[in-house]
Amino acid sequence: MSFNIEEGRYVILGSIDGLLATLGIILGVSVVSASNSIVVSAGFGGAIALALTNGLGSYLAESTIEHGKLLKTEKSLLRKLDNTYVESQSKKRIVKDALTHGGASFLASLVPLAPWILGVGSAFVSVVLSLITLVVLGVYSGYISRQNYIMSVAKMVGLGTLIIITVELLRIVHLVS
Amino acid sequence: MSQIRRLVLDVLKPHEPTNVEVASAIGDLQDVDGVNLSLYEVDQQTENVKITVEGTNVNYSLVLQTIENLGGVVHSVDEIIAGKKIVEEDETLHDRG
Repeated sequence: MSFNIEEGRYVILGSIDGLLATLGIILGVSVVSASNSIVVSAGFGGAIALALTNGLGSYLAESTIEHGKLLKTEKSLLRKLDNTYVESQSKKRIVKDALTHGGASFLASLVPLAPWILGVGSAFVSVVLSLITLVVLGVYSGYISRQNYIMSVAKMVGLGTLIIITVELLRIVHLVS
Repeated sequence: MSQIRRLVLDVLKPHEPTNVEVASAIGDLQDVDGVNLSLYEVDQQTENVKITVEGTNVNYSLVLQTIENLGGVVHSVDEIIAGKKIVEEDETLHDRG
């Protein structure tokens, strides 16, 4: 499977989604219960739901876009493109994008979940691992966009930190009340 | 039926597959010795290309099928050379004037 810039979009989208949404679930659930199994169950449920919704969402959105593009080309060519290489490539792109988006989301979800799956059971470790992954994603994003790596990493980590702070604030509000 | 030695086709095709892929696919056909694909018009969705196919026994149906499978449409067959040897178009008195 060749990888191009188009798929890079879904790798970044899916990874950020999976990473931060699952981290949010973990931070939220760990306030209520410190039990490893409960955090893992909640996080895993969230990870699967996210992977499915991201994958299906991409499938539906890409199907619409690709179908529209195909129709436009058919109009220009004054012919149907059913059962041609063009149509098969279009279908392949739809499946590839859906799998990339859903797969990236699921794999990234495993990062904050890893300490809980391995029995370490620490929200702090989940946060640190997530931030490290955001650094890697930032480097990847900088590589794809051919932009400044430091800026790219700063944007990615800044966004992650903002979300973590928001979730932590909600956690503190919950603890106080 | 004598063997087709050269075919020149005017083809309208989408941007994808690329011209390299189209030329390569036709070049892979049996009894095709060489392909020349020249781009002469680019539109928003499509491009016009002139495809010259040479070989010892070019199968026109197969060339047509390959182009259509790649999403192209043959607008016209601009030149055909068939027979034992390649005969180039000769200049007439009218052309010289």
